[in-house]
Amino acid sequence: MACVYIPVQNSEEEVRVVLDQLPKDASDILDILKAEQAPLDLWLIIAREYFKQGKTEQFRQILEEGSGPDIDEYYADVRYERIAILNALGAYYSYLGKIETKQREKEEHFILATQYYNKASRIDMHEPSTWVGKGQLLLAKGDIEQASSAFKIVLEGDRDNVPALLGQACVEFNRGHYSESLELYKRALLVHPNGPGVMRLGIGFCRYKLGQFEKARQAFLRVLQLNPENVEALVALAILDLQTNEAGGIRSGMEKMQRAFEIYPYCAMSLNYLANHFFFTGQHFLVEQLTETALSATNHGPTKSHSYYNLARSYHSKGDFEKAKAYYNASVKEINKPHEFVFPYYGLGQTLLHLGDLKNALLNFEKVLEVYPENCETLKVLAHIYDQLGQIEKAREFLRRATKVDPRDAQAFLDLGELLISSDTVAALDAFKTARGLLKKVGQEVPTEVLNNVGVFHFEREEYETALQAFKDALGDGIWLTLLDGKAKIEVDATASAIQYKDVQLFHQLEEAGFSLELPWNKVTPLFNLARLLEQLHNTETASTLYRLILFKYPDYADAYLRLAAIAKARNNLQMSIELVNDALKVNDKCPNALCMLGDLELKSDDWVRAKETFRAASDATDGKDSYASLCLGNWNYFAALRNEKRNPKLEATHLEKSKELYTRVLVQHTANLYAANGAGVVLAEKGHFDVSKDIFTQVQEAASGNIFVQLPDVWVNLAHVYFAQGNFALAVKMYQNCLRKFHYNTDSQILLYIARTHYEAEQWQDCKKTLLRAIHLAPSNYTLRFDAGVAMQKFAASTLQKPKRTVDEVRSTVDELENAVRVFSLLAAASNLHIHGFDEKKINTHVEYCKHLLDAAKVHREAAEREEQQIRHKQEVSRQLALADEARRMAEEQMKFQLEKRKQEDELKRMKQQEEHFERVKEQWKSSMPASRRREKSDVDDEGGHSEKRRRKGGKRRKKDKNSKSHYDADEAEAEMMDDHEELEDDMTYREPNNRGNDDGDGENTEGLLAAAGLEDSDAEDETVPLSTAERRRRALSESDDDEPLQRPMIDDFSELRVSDEEVREE
Amino acid sequence: MKLAGLSSVDNAHDDSVWATTWVPATTSRPALLLTGSLDETVKLWRADDLQLERTNTGHCLGVVSVAAHPSGVIAASASLDSFVRVFDVDTNATIATLEAPPSEVWQMQFDPRGTTLAVAGGGSASVKLWDSATWKLIATLSVPRPEGGKPTDKSSSKKFVLSVAWSSDGKRIACGSMDGTISIFDVARAKFLHHLEGHTMPVRSLVYSPTEPRVLFSASDDAHVHIYDSEGKTLIAALSGHTSWVLSVDASPDGLAVATGSSDKTVRLWDISMRAAVQTMTNHSDQVWGVAFRPPGGTGVRFGRLASVSDDKSISLYDYS
Repeated sequence: MACVYIPVQNSEEEVRVVLDQLPKDASDILDILKAEQAPLDLWLIIAREYFKQGKTEQFRQILEEGSGPDIDEYYADVRYERIAILNALGAYYSYLGKIETKQREKEEHFILATQYYNKASRIDMHEPSTWVGKGQLLLAKGDIEQASSAFKIVLEGDRDNVPALLGQACVEFNRGHYSESLELYKRALLVHPNGPGVMRLGIGFCRYKLGQFEKARQAFLRVLQLNPENVEALVALAILDLQTNEAGGIRSGMEKMQRAFEIYPYCAMSLNYLANHFFFTGQHFLVEQLTETALSATNHGPTKSHSYYNLARSYHSKGDFEKAKAYYNASVKEINKPHEFVFPYYGLGQTLLHLGDLKNALLNFEKVLEVYPENCETLKVLAHIYDQLGQIEKAREFLRRATKVDPRDAQAFLDLGELLISSDTVAALDAFKTARGLLKKVGQEVPTEVLNNVGVFHFEREEYETALQAFKDALGDGIWLTLLDGKAKIEVDATASAIQYKDVQLFHQLEEAGFSLELPWNKVTPLFNLARLLEQLHNTETASTLYRLILFKYPDYADAYLRLAAIAKARNNLQMSIELVNDALKVNDKCPNALCMLGDLELKSDDWVRAKETFRAASDATDGKDSYASLCLGNWNYFAALRNEKRNPKLEATHLEKSKELYTRVLVQHTANLYAANGAGVVLAEKGHFDVSKDIFTQVQEAASGNIFVQLPDVWVNLAHVYFAQGNFALAVKMYQNCLRKFHYNTDSQILLYIARTHYEAEQWQDCKKTLLRAIHLAPSNYTLRFDAGVAMQKFAASTLQKPKRTVDEVRSTVDELENAVRVFSLLAAASNLHIHGFDEKKINTHVEYCKHLLDAAKVHREAAEREEQQIRHKQEVSRQLALADEARRMAEEQMKFQLEKRKQEDELKRMKQQEEHFERVKEQWKSSMPASRRREKSDVDDEGGHSEKRRRKGGKRRKKDKNSKSHYDADEAEAEMMDDHEELEDDMTYREPNNRGNDDGDGENTEGLLAAAGLEDSDAEDETVPLSTAERRRRALSESDDDEPLQRPMIDDFSELRVSDEEVREE
Repeated sequence: MKLAGLSSVDNAHDDSVWATTWVPATTSRPALLLTGSLDETVKLWRADDLQLERTNTGHCLGVVSVAAHPSGVIAASASLDSFVRVFDVDTNATIATLEAPPSEVWQMQFDPRGTTLAVAGGGSASVKLWDSATWKLIATLSVPRPEGGKPTDKSSSKKFVLSVAWSSDGKRIACGSMDGTISIFDVARAKFLHHLEGHTMPVRSLVYSPTEPRVLFSASDDAHVHIYDSEGKTLIAALSGHTSWVLSVDASPDGLAVATGSSDKTVRLWDISMRAAVQTMTNHSDQVWGVAFRPPGGTGVRFGRLASVSDDKSISLYDYS
């Protein structure tokens, strides 16, 4: 039984105080101590005893009494004990301050502690224990630097001062200098091997922080050996166990935590860990209780933040986002730097994201990213937020980073692919493919959407095989496989063609046959795409079956109706197509696509008024924003302008103006709309602005040929029309032919007609005829083409007969051609009795008569030519005989001469010499005169040659526009080579005049009719041409302007002149 | 089944080749290939090496169709000027010149016994039957006009008859029109039986199966080949795959396959039982206007042959097995 003896003053007696039985009221003891003036160490011992017994009130009372001013007086020389008392008080208040959670009281405690220590210092500046106490106080206040200097003062005096060593170790620990701290703890342990477990605890923490977990564990175990109730050691060991991340470790860790909790239920750390544990086991009620206790038990920032985090997480997982947000916020507030504890930021970001506060969520996630710049989840979340905020570029950037960090994250690749769809299809496809590969590798099922997207991209890049495979992968197993194989053979009643596109009988039969027709909703899109692909691959039959399957299961899938309608339309089954579009409209009567298609179909079936209404409806359904509908209306107006046979200039102008306005509106909305540009070009060309329209068409053509998705044959035709209108026939033909080959598989008889027309204008009759024959072969029921062919042959014949010189063969072929023409016309005349083909019988008869007449003339010509030929042959024969006779005579003469000369030879011998001399003289004369004259002659020839060549060129050029009026020549007169030109032109005129006369000959009264017929034939050629979106009508305006449209003439003349001046510039 | 290119002649004609058929073998010579072209000539070619045997002239405007008598002795050629010239194959002597104004001439075919020549009469909306002994017109099979239509209606040109085919038993004639309908006639009674619908674009070529008299193949501008049961009025199958007009169709002598020529420049071989294209030949550089299987018979004809002619002026020969 421990006891102390208080010596009684001025005697030998002592008062025995049994320490276990200290009175409840400290005053009793105090009275004794004061009365007996007991040594101060006794005061301290008794006070300490009270403290040990937990009677802090008595402890404080004694010490406060023992440090009062009286004591200072009485015990003035007892310095150490006084200091010890003061220090004890200081330490007590430090402790109170340390554990106090309320800030104000905490401050007050610290102030008191400081006062006591200062008082102690005043007694003895150098007392180490005071400095140690001060150091502890400073530590408790968090003033690490000052604390360190306090401890250092002590250690300078005594380097083995254990408390100072421990304090300094603590300082170093807080500074993060764990190895230094460890050294200090070790030294303290060496000095004081039997010291309390706390020293080992320090060592353990240092080891832990240094990553030496095994040694740390040993240290903690030692602490527990010394004191099995040491909560810190238990918690630390538990944490170590938990960190092993193994089921066994975690279990034993949790057991230790629990023990720690049982020993001391207010250790925040263990509370947090327990809460954490219960969070994962889903016992949210316990989590809340534990964390709330932890929160009230500690004031330590990080720990509190942890607790709040636990709480927030619990609410978060329960779906109470508002509360979760509040607690996350509280948790975040406790953290100075995100580096210390980043989870609550993430959680806060998540809740904010969920609550729709993107901006703040973004901030929080960015903080997380600062700490973990390579965290995939965060990168993905950020990408998602940026995507939501519309900053696609940034979103993409983050996803790229995420995929770089973790190249095996399929989800990231998928997201990246989604983001890239709009901008970079190639990269998007790559991303999707990578994702697909990754998913496959891990044996996960690839989402249907991904495969679908991959397929679509391949489709768009015209990689049909891969696209097909992708769609098949996306669809997996199902009834479509049977349909794809074409194994389901169902016969259809051929008398009802409608059934091909609407029949669902097939599916009923399949169902009866035991096939499952299941079509999950997420496979509809890939199935539709597959059908679309099959359509592209011209496997339209299977495509149609698949579309019908979709409709069988999902009757509201309007797009499938539209595709079926498109198939029907491509096969020219307009009625069916209209029916299908109407089905689509039943699903949604405002669907602009369906309305546009319907309008188009109505146009095709010649229902103009209704088409316009439909286009209007389509345009209204999209508030005029749908450029297709606007374009359709523009086209409609353009067609309407040119539709009337009897043109109404006013109406035409308003329609053209309207269409121009519509095209322009579309162009304003979409500056890159090729179709609108094309339309605008057409309107301009219609108004005669060929240079501008040519520029436009050329640009559109270039743009269209650079794009694999756009097929715009019209612009080729339009460009060719412009060339044609400008007289560039060769180029026009080339352009038409290219268009025909490139876009129409050479099957478009309309374009062939254009080519024929160009040949006709270029007076290439045979080419014209051949082209027309091809056109007839393609479009046998188009009798207008036959008529045109007849006209071409007639023209050919006429032009040959009008030639000043022609061979017999030419005349013969002319006769043949005329016979053909007569046959063609008479067949037409017979046919027109049966049918109406848009031209009247009279006119054909006129042609027949004219051709017959020409034929008669030609036959005469042929006979004449043949006669002439015979005559020539006869003449040749005569002249040959004559020549023979001449030869004989000459031979005879020569013989005679020879004889004569021989006779004379001798007589002449004398004169010969004289003659020779004379000859020599003459020769000399020649020598002197010849060269000069020859040179002159030569230069004359050169001059003339050059001149005539030039003339010829000019002449050729003139001939091309020989139809131009006289006024033209007047203009030409001003030109440099006026005279020559004029002569040439007059030559031309004479060439032409016989032509005209030739036409007139013998057909006097009919001439006018014939000319009219010749003029009309051109329009006939076009009467049946339903205007496409091309400018074919313009041809008429241009080509006929010479003949019957004086209004157009000035414009044409301008053109020719322009061309003339151009050419002249080139010539110069 | 398979096609293998044997030989081809570039510039076989001076211009587009529009028609082809095989002249069956006679006792004195093997089968010959007959071609007609826009250059107004008809040419005869020896099989396998495609050596030119003879060039027949005398047509004006392009030659649009040729037909050979099953005996192989006589043949007919027709041009855009609506004349049909019937000639002796070996001597080129003109036997008859046929015309039936205002009817034009498009596809022609002799009946399997060779007694009658059927000619698709274009705008007359009829098929003309000519007796091959007397060369007299014996019947006109008119396609009935749709009821209720106005006579002045444009639809009149829609019944324009382009193509004609005899069934293998010689009892039926099918003809195809511009509007895509196919009409079936009973030859014996010269009576219209019914329409086969399904096409809505011109049917340029028709052929009956040589083995099954009911089965009819049609080629149309809608890029499809249809297989009909012509008696049961049912569409057995529609074959899609050509990317443009199907201009010509012919059935193989074994009845297992059909070949088609298209303006998409290809020749395709279709397996009838699979109802799918088994092969696509791409050797032509322009529209393929005609395809023809060599009929069986004659000496040394053990192998199947297919000929094709095209706008690119060439003719090609394939081995069919």
